[in-house]
Amino acid sequence: MNQKNSTLLEKILQGDRRAMAKAITLLESTNSESFEKGQELLDSLLPHTGKALRIGITGVPGVGKSTFIEAFGLFLIKLKHRVAVLAVDPSSPVTGGSIMGDKTRMNELSQHPNSFIRPSPSSGVLGGVARKTRETVLICEAAGYDIVFVETVGVGQSETLVDSMVDLFMLLMLPNAGDELQGIKKGVLELADLIVVNKSDGLQEPLAISTQSEYRKAMQLLSSSKKSWDPQILRCSALEKVGMQIIWEAVKNFQDALQNSGEWAQQRRSQSAKWMWALVEEGLLKNFRKNENIKKIIPEMEESVSSGEMLPSNAARRLLEKWASSKKTCTSKK
Amino acid sequence: MPESKYIFSLKEWEKKASSELGGNPSSSANWKTLEDIAIKMLYTSEDLEKLSYSETLPGLSPFIRGPHATMYSGRKWTIRQYAGFSTAKESNKFYRENLAAGQKGLSVAFDLATHRGYDSDHQRVLGDVGKAGVAIDSVEDMKILFDQIPLDQMSVSMTMNGAVLPILASYIVTAEEQGVKQEQLSGTIQNDILKEFMVRNTYIYPPSPSIRIAGDIIEYVSTYMPRYNSVSISGYHLQEAGATAVQELAFSLGNGLEYVRTAINRGMEIDSFAPRLSFFFGIGMNFFMEIAKLRAARFLWNKLIQEFNPKKVESSMLRTHCQTSGWSLTEQDPYNNIVRTTIEALAAVLGGTQSLHTNAFDEALGLPTETSARIARNTQLILQEEAGIPNVIDPFGGSYFMESLSESLIQESAKLLEKVEKLGGMTKAVESGMPKQQIEASAARRQAMIDQGQEVIVGINKYKAENAEPVEVRDIDNTAVREAQIKMLKKIRKNRDQQKVDSFLNALTNAADTGVGNLLGLSINAIRARATVGEVSLALEKVWGRYNAPVQSISGVYAGAFPDQKKISEVRNEIKNFAKKVGRRPRIMVAKMGQDGHDRGAKVIATAFADMGFDVDIAPLFQTPEEVVRQSIENDVHVIGISSLAAGHKTLIEELMKVLRQENSEDIAVVAGGVIPPKDYDFLKSLGVCCIFGPGTAIPDAAREVLMSLKVTH
Repeated sequence: MNQKNSTLLEKILQGDRRAMAKAITLLESTNSESFEKGQELLDSLLPHTGKALRIGITGVPGVGKSTFIEAFGLFLIKLKHRVAVLAVDPSSPVTGGSIMGDKTRMNELSQHPNSFIRPSPSSGVLGGVARKTRETVLICEAAGYDIVFVETVGVGQSETLVDSMVDLFMLLMLPNAGDELQGIKKGVLELADLIVVNKSDGLQEPLAISTQSEYRKAMQLLSSSKKSWDPQILRCSALEKVGMQIIWEAVKNFQDALQNSGEWAQQRRSQSAKWMWALVEEGLLKNFRKNENIKKIIPEMEESVSSGEMLPSNAARRLLEKWASSKKTCTSKK
Repeated sequence: MPESKYIFSLKEWEKKASSELGGNPSSSANWKTLEDIAIKMLYTSEDLEKLSYSETLPGLSPFIRGPHATMYSGRKWTIRQYAGFSTAKESNKFYRENLAAGQKGLSVAFDLATHRGYDSDHQRVLGDVGKAGVAIDSVEDMKILFDQIPLDQMSVSMTMNGAVLPILASYIVTAEEQGVKQEQLSGTIQNDILKEFMVRNTYIYPPSPSIRIAGDIIEYVSTYMPRYNSVSISGYHLQEAGATAVQELAFSLGNGLEYVRTAINRGMEIDSFAPRLSFFFGIGMNFFMEIAKLRAARFLWNKLIQEFNPKKVESSMLRTHCQTSGWSLTEQDPYNNIVRTTIEALAAVLGGTQSLHTNAFDEALGLPTETSARIARNTQLILQEEAGIPNVIDPFGGSYFMESLSESLIQESAKLLEKVEKLGGMTKAVESGMPKQQIEASAARRQAMIDQGQEVIVGINKYKAENAEPVEVRDIDNTAVREAQIKMLKKIRKNRDQQKVDSFLNALTNAADTGVGNLLGLSINAIRARATVGEVSLALEKVWGRYNAPVQSISGVYAGAFPDQKKISEVRNEIKNFAKKVGRRPRIMVAKMGQDGHDRGAKVIATAFADMGFDVDIAPLFQTPEEVVRQSIENDVHVIGISSLAAGHKTLIEELMKVLRQENSEDIAVVAGGVIPPKDYDFLKSLGVCCIFGPGTAIPDAAREVLMSLKVTH
């Protein structure tokens, strides 16, 4: 390992904020040199990771995810925990740019010495997860954060991906039993270990209570994603910071139940396998796009498909054949 | 009916006009305003037939031609210049000079620390004390401010919303100690907290307790201070933040309606308080539109108040103060601002305002000097005394165009107001974020039009002056002011009966908690016992907490309004190349430091930079330099963009650079923008600031310059 990386490693292990931030940037970098450095760093970090409780948080826009993390995070810090938050904001598909305002909704938490909050642009990855969120979790763990939140935008395809990198998956809901389960896909509900009805305050409280019981009924019809845990439906007011104790107890019960049954470790192992495949897919695609023979015909293929001259399936087959044959020549040359 | 003197036909005119336009119909020359109202080139009596109102008269419902029957023929509008200079002593001197020079009423500008309810010795207001207005920590400062100014004769307007309780209380106690009774006081407290949650951001508490404060003040004033205006419902700040005339009308009238309902819900009679509600509008450069706006506002308010069955005619009669637009002023070629202000002042007067502030030409550069303040005041005196303007009431009344434009504004604003009502009124609308987002979208769209020269600003995007001479700007030694204030605070705290102070402060905390008791009455007790502004604010904060509004952002609006996509795609390509080389997109933290809540510039920059392909972090408002540095390090940004409009830049940026060095993070570049006097550029550059963008910089150019500076450092 080069010297720069080894000081970075030391500093991360001491919990140095700047070192953590720089390391995350290395991991997220599309520059191959930086990326290699990041990978090397990750290898050396691995022995120091795995100790945090990883919590995924999702919900429709406006449900109050950031406000919830602000309240819950501060509650956990009072209990002497160290809290990291990885928030993902959508990059515009048109401009590539993004606006990240998460910290404005986590004002107090973002100033606390025992918190670390890093918003990342989704950079074109489907749904609400950044390309390197999984690896970023490890950096926070190595730096001594024992609770890591992964916050994602909206509700869509991203949830399965988040579920594959956290221990507990929490879904926030609005109090409106009338349009029950609006916009939430059944698959997302099935992934949730905890469903929390937020904004249970003021005039909305009665509605939140009835929403809670509606969801309880609805969840009985769905199958649970865990063998040793039945999803719980809870209520809170992130704004008034009410309900945090109950949620934390549920989280601890969840952890106990899964650890006792052995499902906890099993889940982490299967997540590692999924991570491996995700990396393989990413690597393959990167190599594919970098391949000189492929690069040459990509514009032509794209043009023929969009003009309707060629069927997408035919174009894809041609590209893959080209890839296979160029691989062969590479091997034979060796 | 006598026969018409002329026989004309519109068809004939259309033919002639069309041939002059090279065969195009006359409608091809229609002008779409920012309000999306189409202005034709010619209006005729036909347009009058479409009006929803007919012949009206001033002083009579629906007041479209003016609230008073004689208007300026009876009494000229009040020249009311808004001013406040760092210390109470300096401001007092300035006020008395102005009064001697022909000004009729006072209007107090407070510094940002006071607005946000902090005493000058609070650690969060290091760069804010004495900036953008006068620092008031206690009634002792207020007494100096009004020294030798008889408050029973002088109408005083105070722009205060956040710390409205301790400030109004200090004013009342000052009068008391001058021997003036509450019922003798005349003037206005702004007390329009709802708009603070949409723009400007000088609130302290969350929305619902803030509305209670406003209600307590309305109630107290209607009982004890019959000559005093309890709310000044402000469209001005909405316009400054980017609102169109339609948005300014709908949202300010909607706010007014909310205050009326608050009072009615407390069991008050409409006639007991509605006559003491006043308005405050901004007057920009769209000359005819601004005149129509004031006419439409009076019409709409009259209509809205009828719902509450008023018996007094004054209850539904809209009276307003106006201010020429600060946003329309330019840093470049600043003497042009004198002309702009004159045109805007004329519009305000032709629209029938009751009082007026005219901006000094150097306000885009810093606080006004004595000379620039004199010119601003003289602008009004010339309009009043040289040009024969006050002699005729509503001279535009009956104009085909003006009546038609007033009607369009009435219709469009009523539509938007209906949307607000559907959301459940303005408080609910504010919570939903709708008004703020609409205003920010208008601001971004307008910026795009200016950046590409579709909207002309002389000296900025057309007819740029090559060698404009520099203008002298007033400088404020913020540290000296702060030290003097702290000394005064120490003295007050030493000499007062602490037990008495504590018991009055506890009574306030208690009233906040239980919801029982009038908070203004209780604040007067505390202030009289020499509790400070910060202590009174804190007594309530203990129960309600300090609010920080969530920041919402919009995207795509800026680029969408920019037809010259070539210019934008050039920048986008440069960003792509940067990302290829560096491994990620350029990342910028857009931040404001100190208590300056004017976030129009920051929000427009954020959304436009994102539209160009930057990754943009928005920092929470009211940050200290330490907080900004921590967020920037944590997010690992390439550059921090500081937006400053309140003159605190020197102290705060110096501190920011110091903290960056301490944290070994000098690799993060710093750029700054906003109202920064050119003479400060060298100082900021010597600190290490890479680029400084004054008002009027086209955003794609700014984006490029930021990129260039990053290429050097990364």
